Amino acid sequence: MTVTALETESDRRAPVVRGGGRPTRRARLLPGGLRWILPAFAISVGLIYYSIIYSGYLSFFSWPGGRALMTPVGLGNYITALSDPVLWTSLRNTIVYFVVVFVVQVAGGMLFAAAMHSKVRFANVYKVLVVIPVVVAPATLAPAQIQVWQSDGTVNSILGFFGLSALQQPWIGQSTTSLLVVTLVGCWGAIGYGFILLYAGMSQIDPELIEAGRLDGAGNFRVLFSIVLPSLRPIIVSLAILNFITALKLFDNPWLITQGGPAHSSEFLGTMIYGETASTDRNLGYASALSILVLLIAVAVSVFMQLRGRERLTRTKPRRQEAADV
Amino acid sequence: MMRTRFLSAAAVAAAAALAITGCTGTSGDQSSDVKPATSGNVTWWGWTPDTPVAQKYIEEFTKDYPKITVTYKNFENVDYRNTITPALDSGKGPDVFDLSPAGGSPDTWGPYALDLTSLAKDTLGDGWKDKIGGDYVKQLTSSDGRFVSLPLGGMSAGFLWYNKDILDKAGAKVPTDYASWVDTCKKVTAIGKTCFTMGAGGKDTFPTEMYHSIANTVDPSFFIKAATGKAKWNDEQGQKVLEIIKKMKTDGIIPANALDGPQYPLANNEFMKGDAAMVQMGFWYTQYAGAESCKSAMEAAGVTSPTCFVQLPAQFPDVAGDGHKSTYFGEADYGLAINSGSKNIGPAKTFVAWMTMKKSGQQDVANALDLLPALKGTTPDWSSISLVNDSVQRPAIETLIKDSGDTTESRQWQTTEKSLDAIVVAIQQVLDPSVNKSIKSIADDQQAASVASKVGTK
Repeated sequence: MTVTALETESDRRAPVVRGGGRPTRRARLLPGGLRWILPAFAISVGLIYYSIIYSGYLSFFSWPGGRALMTPVGLGNYITALSDPVLWTSLRNTIVYFVVVFVVQVAGGMLFAAAMHSKVRFANVYKVLVVIPVVVAPATLAPAQIQVWQSDGTVNSILGFFGLSALQQPWIGQSTTSLLVVTLVGCWGAIGYGFILLYAGMSQIDPELIEAGRLDGAGNFRVLFSIVLPSLRPIIVSLAILNFITALKLFDNPWLITQGGPAHSSEFLGTMIYGETASTDRNLGYASALSILVLLIAVAVSVFMQLRGRERLTRTKPRRQEAADV
Repeated sequence: MMRTRFLSAAAVAAAAALAITGCTGTSGDQSSDVKPATSGNVTWWGWTPDTPVAQKYIEEFTKDYPKITVTYKNFENVDYRNTITPALDSGKGPDVFDLSPAGGSPDTWGPYALDLTSLAKDTLGDGWKDKIGGDYVKQLTSSDGRFVSLPLGGMSAGFLWYNKDILDKAGAKVPTDYASWVDTCKKVTAIGKTCFTMGAGGKDTFPTEMYHSIANTVDPSFFIKAATGKAKWNDEQGQKVLEIIKKMKTDGIIPANALDGPQYPLANNEFMKGDAAMVQMGFWYTQYAGAESCKSAMEAAGVTSPTCFVQLPAQFPDVAGDGHKSTYFGEADYGLAINSGSKNIGPAKTFVAWMTMKKSGQQDVANALDLLPALKGTTPDWSSISLVNDSVQRPAIETLIKDSGDTTESRQWQTTEKSLDAIVVAIQQVLDPSVNKSIKSIADDQQAASVASKVGTK
């Protein structure tokens, strides 16, 4: 018998005897398992929470690190952060990045997943092609992306080739397009990730449900919006939370491609924090205050999304119950 | 049984907590009394010099001290800053480490270093401070008065490097003022080359050197005054500097791709590939005038089978047209600090003293053409240096060394990181075709984002 992480409400209420097993076995296994994982659990959780608490402590000081003097500044670092226009630019960029990447990820992932579930030749080849961007390290990808988007890069060459010279831009080197470049690079990698989860989610949909829909006269779009999408809602909510957290701590692509520039136009919270710790004057207290703000935003948004998800669930349950009763 | 397990777990947790909080012992400055030794092992960590240069230094040192083994580890700039503190805190740090005057480093990492006053005094005698060039001793002294890093050398900036072969081919002259720079650029672009390469993208502070040079042609005292709060960046002079930068882009001196990336690799690669006629770099670029180092630099920039070109320094043109010569600025580039917690203080002292205060060590520094030697009176031994074109480059480099030695203005020592960042952002906004702000508004924002430095103002 295996103990799975995902248990239903009924599992918890009454011991279920599967395959003729003994009902008391599960109760004995749990404490033993707990003993085994406890040291690793204590160290990992200890490290994480220690780091968070220590960051919180540091955020009340002006400190460049090492044995340099720690000067208490009270809420000074938080006040500086909240009055820093770069922080608000970073937050705006985070929201833009999250919304665009999430929408493209779900739409693109859904499109590819639906296509792969239909009978396409060489489906496995396409699957590999879609998933490759997920596994390519940003550090490997960045030089190629710079080559693509720089003033004399691939995009401008293609535009020139097709007589669209008027559209040629210094894509990385101007404030109006640098965020677009970083976001598009994010989309490129995100579609594959969305595809993996949505493809797996679609595999779980009962084919009979779709067949019943078809018999009732539902077309492809009706099936997609009335059967497939509602079934994939938990995955889409998870993707939303994961994407938001990714956007909040985004660092690699913007740093490697634009370093948050020009003039902070593609700045994110991750690049801002790194910039403070990596500068010659190392403002570790200020960087810690920024990290705590990121943490608070991440927790608040995750709780909000979870609560919204539960509200919807409780709102839809009675309706389903009513339908079942009829 | 339960109790034993609980105690074991508590012991593991306590050990982990100790490891996390870095509760290791520290040793104080009593290590200053340790005498230099002639045998032992020394580890040296730094972001500069590059490993081949460091190996050359170590080889020469080992000839004098064969029983001391020095191991050098090179880091990228940011990696170094993020690695050195935990390494020193954990007690597993290097015996010798690079320490520069930039960004208050003597106060940040000085507490890990020995006070080197007695070593300097023992090696150079009572008048030791006068034997070290520039303001290097002052720049590497922490605010509590400890001399924490012995300068290996200094550097200067505020001038251009040009590719003589390209200018000759284009029939262009080295620019001396704004009009001649525009004229030179027209001739250079006519032969399909970039006139002046510049990388002002990202967070790198290299663009501040151009700002500083232009400011010196507008008002020679403005930059340091603004950096130390005695003038404002949005004063008339500051606005004029930004206007000149904007005009330089409009007139084709600053290239359209300047914001595509930082100075390294963008501008460095374009110049070293032989695609651009001019670049603004500091004294460290002198090393690429060398017949061999030039090849390595070109290969690193992506040239296969390189043929070296003649590169020469040139004064920054008087772009303001007010008749002010754009003077050079410079400071100690970096020095060597000795870890006060090191178990190899004796050999570390011997190594640091040899590198920074002995004629033989400093001669190697001078011959590498990377730094201006810290020990006064040390000049390159030209008989052991091979340049691409000795008759043309040597006189120019000798003049550069002399002028660099006369530098009175600091490069970044008296400018806070916040002010440097604000200059970079202002330049980026001026060069960004999509930014629709007035020069006055950009300069106002620059002033608001800057923090005046108190360094060297007493």
